[in-house]
Parts: sequence; C-alpha cells; structure tokens
Amino acid sequence: MKVLVVDDSKLARLSLIKVLKEFEPSAEIFEGENGAIAVELFKSERPRVVFLDLTMPVMDGYEALKIIMEIDPKAQVVVVSADIQTQAHEFVLKIGAKMMVPKPINSEKMLAVLQQLVF
Amino acid sequence: MQISEFSEDHLDVLKELMNIAMGNATASIADLLQAFGTMHIPYISVSDMDGLKLFIEETIPSDPRYYVTKQLFGGEFGGEFIFVMTNESAFNLGNYLYDVSEPNSADILDAVIELTNILSATIISRLTEELNTKVQFFVPSTEVIDGNHLIGVDETLNYHKIIIVSTEMIFQNQNISGHIFILTKDEMIERLRTLIDQKLEELYS
Repeated sequence: MKVLVVDDSKLARLSLIKVLKEFEPSAEIFEGENGAIAVELFKSERPRVVFLDLTMPVMDGYEALKIIMEIDPKAQVVVVSADIQTQAHEFVLKIGAKMMVPKPINSEKMLAVLQQLVF
Repeated sequence: MQISEFSEDHLDVLKELMNIAMGNATASIADLLQAFGTMHIPYISVSDMDGLKLFIEETIPSDPRYYVTKQLFGGEFGGEFIFVMTNESAFNLGNYLYDVSEPNSADILDAVIELTNILSATIISRLTEELNTKVQFFVPSTEVIDGNHLIGVDETLNYHKIIIVSTEMIFQNQNISGHIFILTKDEMIERLRTLIDQKLEELYS
C-alpha cells in the first residue's frame, strides 16, 4: 500500500511514519515537505492514503487538498494538523478530506484513522 | 557543541512543538473571540540582543504605541514569554470583546491581559508538556510602551545569547493580531537542547 506523508517538519513525518509502521509494516512510504511536492507525488504515485499537514511553506495543506481532490475526488486524505479550530476542521472536511486528526499523532489515533479508511 | 550549533534536527523539533502549542492557543483564542484565526509557521533562531532588536524592527508593524505583556516561567526549562500588540490591534480587541465603539483604556488593557493569559498559559504548558517537563508561571505584567523602547535596558542586561521563538496570531476579520516571542538563555538553552535530545531519542528508538 502506497502512503504519502506530507509535513514541513521532519519530526512530524518521522513520528507519523513510526506509528503507521506499527499497523502497516509493509506500507510503501513517500514523503513531501510542502503542498506543491504533495501534489506532484500524488500525481506520480497515486497513493492509497495521504496524511497532510496544513501549515506549510510554498503551498499550504488547504491548497494541496483542493488540487488533490480535483485530481481524484475519491482520494483518501487525512489532515493531521496542530490547527484544532472547529472552523478549520469543518473547512477541510468540506473540501473533501476524509478526516482531521490533531497533532501529535499517536498509536491510538492512527488505529482509529486506519479503521475508517477503505483499503 | 556551542549554543549557536543547534542542529537542524533541534530546530525542527522546536518548530514543530511550537506549531502544536500554537495550534492549541489559536483554538482557545478562537473560542474567546468566536472567530477563525490564521496560523503561521513559527520562526526559530539563535541570536544576541542586537539580533533580537533587528528582528523586532523587521517583524512588528510600526505603531507609536504597543501593549507588551511579559511573563517569566521556570522549572527544568524556563524563559520569558512576550506578547506584543500594536495600539490599533489592542483597540480592536477591546472594541470586539466589549462590543463598544470606543473602549476605554482600562477595557483595552483588561482585554489584552485576558487574551495574553490564555495565550501564554496554553502555549508554554503545551510546549513543555511535549518536552516531557513542567514549569511554574510567574505573575505577568502588561505595559503600554512607546514604539522606540520595545527592548528596554533590563532585557539588554539580562540576556546575552538567546533563542528566539516567534510567531504571529492573526484574526483577519476582526483586525486583531499580535506577535509572540519566547526568549530563553544561558543554561536554559542547554537544558532545552537536552530535552529535545530526549525527544529525538524517543523518536529514533
């Protein structure tokens, strides 16, 4: 299973990949540092799941999410963000994200996410 | 390793933890204002006082008066939380929270203190929680300061080498914004690095 992990923080990407590997050890991981890279990797790799941060340089997660959903309306994008405002949550779900998870992600949250995705 | 040799990993960890802390704080202020706030990528740098002065001059919009709140915190890790609002933003905050067109100076000051209390408590508590430590807060003070004196003599004497953690809180529709600085120095910088090293060890274990 291909999984795209997008965050400008190396720590955030490593933390997420570490807990993801607990449940999906064979996952093929692709990493991006901003929304623009996320869009390019999404086009080339067509990952089954995208974990997407919101606050990033070059292109933020909101913009990347819009483009990814235009490319594939069935894309499974999980927003993982420190922005826990209700309006931010509502907005990303409206654009098409499957769900939004507050940072930092841990095993419990990852399990809940994976249980809701379609593989 | 010298203080100035904070590795890219150290800075990345600090930036990410600050991002998480700022997310919590923005949500709390959004609840207070019943509005949507914009989050920005935190800026982290190691500097001296001259560097801080220059950074503040370049970062904070020009205004004849500022509301500056300072709060010390201490423990295994410690430093100073500083929140700077322009006079215009503080007026808009008082206007918005008290729902009056011309808030008086006491209302404005009260509104600024309330907002800063939420900000500092949320940001520092969350930041230190993520670093697996605890801190105590000291009583904050808010001053209305002339634009030319944002960095006073006290700070110049107290700080030599510092870490600047800076970010901006913006509630665009309400025309309310403010700049947040967390300054830490000397042995606290070493302790911060130790705490970050522990965090990295956890990650790579």
